Amino acid sequence: MDTYVIVRRNGWRTPDDRQLAAQRSGEEAERMQEDIDWIRSYVLSERDGTVGTVCIFRASSPEAIRRHAAAADIPVDEIVKVADTVIVRPDPAVIAA
Amino acid sequence: MYIVATTLQADSGLLEREPLVDVLETAYAQARAGHGRLVLVSGEAGGGKSALLRYFCAEHADDARLLWGACDALFTPRPLGAIHEIAQEAGSEFRKLIDSNAIPYQVATALVRDLRTNGPTVLVLEDVHWADEATLDVLKLLLRKIDTLPVLAVVSYRDEAVSPSHPLRIVLGEAATGLNVDRLRLPPLSRAAVAELAEPHGVEPDELYGATSGNPFFVTEVLASGGTEIPATVRDAVLANSGRLSQGARSVLEAVAITPPDAEPWLVEALSGLLDERVDECVASGMLGSSGGTVSFRHELARLAVEESLPPGRKLALHRAALDALVSRHEVNHDLARLAHHAEAAHDEAAVLQYAPAAGAHASSVGAHREAAEQYARALRFAGGLSPDALATLLTRRSRECYLTDQADEAIDALQRAAECYREAGDRLKEGETLVSLSNILWCPGRGDEARQTGLEAVALLEQLPAGRELGLAYTNLSFLCERAADIDAASEWGKRAFSLAEDLGDEAVLCQALIRLGSQEGGDAGRQMLERAAALASQDGREDDVANALFGLAAGALFKRSYDLADVYFGQGLAYCGEHGHALMHLYFLASRAQSELERGRWTKAVESATRILRERAVSTYPRTRALVVLALVRARRGDPDVQPLLDEAQALADPTGELPRIAPVAAARAEVAWLVGDTAAIEEVTVPALELARQTNSARAIGELQTWRMRAGIREEPDEIVPQPYSLQLAEDPVRAAALWAELGCPYEAALALADSDDEPTLRRAHEELTSLDARPAAGIVARRLRDRGARDVPRGPRPSTRENPAQLTSRELEVLGLVAEGLRNADIAKRLHLSPRTVDHHVSAILRKLDVKSRGEAAAVAATLAPQDA
Repeated sequence: MDTYVIVRRNGWRTPDDRQLAAQRSGEEAERMQEDIDWIRSYVLSERDGTVGTVCIFRASSPEAIRRHAAAADIPVDEIVKVADTVIVRPDPAVIAA
Repeated sequence: MYIVATTLQADSGLLEREPLVDVLETAYAQARAGHGRLVLVSGEAGGGKSALLRYFCAEHADDARLLWGACDALFTPRPLGAIHEIAQEAGSEFRKLIDSNAIPYQVATALVRDLRTNGPTVLVLEDVHWADEATLDVLKLLLRKIDTLPVLAVVSYRDEAVSPSHPLRIVLGEAATGLNVDRLRLPPLSRAAVAELAEPHGVEPDELYGATSGNPFFVTEVLASGGTEIPATVRDAVLANSGRLSQGARSVLEAVAITPPDAEPWLVEALSGLLDERVDECVASGMLGSSGGTVSFRHELARLAVEESLPPGRKLALHRAALDALVSRHEVNHDLARLAHHAEAAHDEAAVLQYAPAAGAHASSVGAHREAAEQYARALRFAGGLSPDALATLLTRRSRECYLTDQADEAIDALQRAAECYREAGDRLKEGETLVSLSNILWCPGRGDEARQTGLEAVALLEQLPAGRELGLAYTNLSFLCERAADIDAASEWGKRAFSLAEDLGDEAVLCQALIRLGSQEGGDAGRQMLERAAALASQDGREDDVANALFGLAAGALFKRSYDLADVYFGQGLAYCGEHGHALMHLYFLASRAQSELERGRWTKAVESATRILRERAVSTYPRTRALVVLALVRARRGDPDVQPLLDEAQALADPTGELPRIAPVAAARAEVAWLVGDTAAIEEVTVPALELARQTNSARAIGELQTWRMRAGIREEPDEIVPQPYSLQLAEDPVRAAALWAELGCPYEAALALADSDDEPTLRRAHEELTSLDARPAAGIVARRLRDRGARDVPRGPRPSTRENPAQLTSRELEVLGLVAEGLRNADIAKRLHLSPRTVDHHVSAILRKLDVKSRGEAAAVAATLAPQDA
């Protein structure tokens, strides 16, 4: 499996909607363990008040990512391949959404 | 029987396995309710897979029918061996079918029928890493139907035995995308578990864990030996235990060691003398198990260890005795795989030559081609004293089996040697016939030049003899090769020669193939009629290869004319025919054409599915793979997804050496498109020149048109070739709107949108942008958006997902789908089935819908649904 960044801009009207989506996403990822591995996501607070995410997944192919998104009913704007991970500082503590 | 005996001995078997048993129980409950499930159990050798499965089955011995089959470790397994075992406990109808040389499709159909009508069943297939090809096919077919059968299928295998190219991978790959699959991986025992087991025996737990790494079988063997010294390897542990048996018992052990999978009592007697308390001693020691009179090792690792420790002379003598015993015994002397196995191990040349070819023929007839190839290879190892003619026969058969199992090099090698044999024997007719087959197979991995050369050699040879079927087929072979090289004139020449020869001879085989060639080359309605006639003729005469080829010609013809709906009909017929008759290679050809069709129609998700299925398989012919790589690469590039270049690089590496335009042009066009999509238009010139030259040499109008269109988009100003057809000619003449209209009429939405994008005109560009966005063609949409902005156009939409924006209740399209079904009155479980989602996901959607619509019940939601405008639903 390779690592990919998935961009989902302005995906949800409210944080609650995104929360529900996250639940579905997790469940679908469980059923597709061989093809997809959810590593982490950054939730974006968009300018128009909607919510988006940037997600890091490991996947067997871009199609697996799209299959997962279709099953979980979440959008996919862009899929980009990760060539290398450079960690400069650990993430700051997560504030509950 | 066996199961009960084992659970009585279970000790380390079930430590730390409770979560795995839980998964099995949950799956079983679903299966009982009619939703069949597959559980894949994997682990290392000696990891306890068998123990787990036996435990589980014993728990349900009273409430489910148990069908158990184990694949055996014979070097060339018996075809459908495990299925025969399953048949013992299955219904009589299924048993009858199995006994009659049925092919996998028939076996699977009968098994499905049996499972449907006999109540809840637990079906266990053990050690499928050893399964023969036919068994794997049956499993694959069964898994496709499993979700409506009341069966829990449990399949176990050793992960380390399944390399990336192992045929089981394909079955696992297909199964992985199913919703009703659970995967269990048996981990080794933990330090604590090993310590718990070691304690009553007074063995040092850390040392034991260190030596065994927690492997349950190893641990058990060490503890069974009772000594304080811990052996270094499993083999040592097993041998230490067997070393403590009496010499008499050991001779029984050795007899059973050379007769996998299990030994009947009379066989053990023949090898080691009358059965008596020596067998009991072996069973008591835990090395052997006994079930229904048959005796076998409790674990394959133990058997291997004992077998390997036998001195060569003793091994030879045992195999000799086994062979004699089997031959004289009526009920097994048709078990050819077993006889061939012992014949080889006994170095009995005559016996090998008697049984191995027969075993090969039998394996082939039931679809176990991999095993058939092996059996013929075995016979060839002992064929030193055969006449050239007999040798050539074996080689030819081996070649065919290798061809059917993607072993191109071996197939070619075998036929070359066969041709030499016939030459030596002075049989020029057979030599010529063999050269034609060789030419055919050389083409498959793309060795086109050699194929043509060999084909011409064959014709030259056969033309010196009185004309017959062989010459006719030599002509059709050349017709095919020329056609693939896009040399239609030469192809037609050869085809017509074949046709008139067929008429002179009254030979239907040649007539059939000639019609297929001429029909494919002619095209249009006349071509279609010829192909349909060929299909009918071939079907009548039971010539399966020709039926498949004729159907393929029909499909390809329809696809070429862009009659997509008609092509779909032929794809359906072709895929069904190939599936039912086990024609794996032709099946891939149909899939490849279908993938191309789906791509052209803008059905990208379907195109990806078809292409991915092809890429999972290794096949002797590289043509379907080349097409699938291009289709997948284009879908990815069009969506803006990564991992495009490696696919095109592989496609090019496969296509270029063949020198064939139908392979080279699509790769070049794809590279040009990809370059355009990423903004590297400078690369388009270089990438298209060689293919364009080749296309001109072969007068391939459509390829010229496609390549010239990309060159135009790269800003290369050149005169369009005269023969370029529409719609390309319209694009090259800078009439984008008409071109787009024509593309749309043909059913190609992406090409239509790209044609619009060639325009200079703002409203047209906006239309292009809208259409590309709706196709999810982001990079192309982005290029058009930039063009619009460069013109000073305002309000060029940036974002995606208009559906969520425009929708008043802000429901996603999936939620709208679910709402529609709720309004129809379906329950969540049925909605889940209809949309191929899990019930839990549907529950989530329904909750979200109720919340977004601000209603409390499904009824209210349905009422709201009725008020939503039709285009939203």
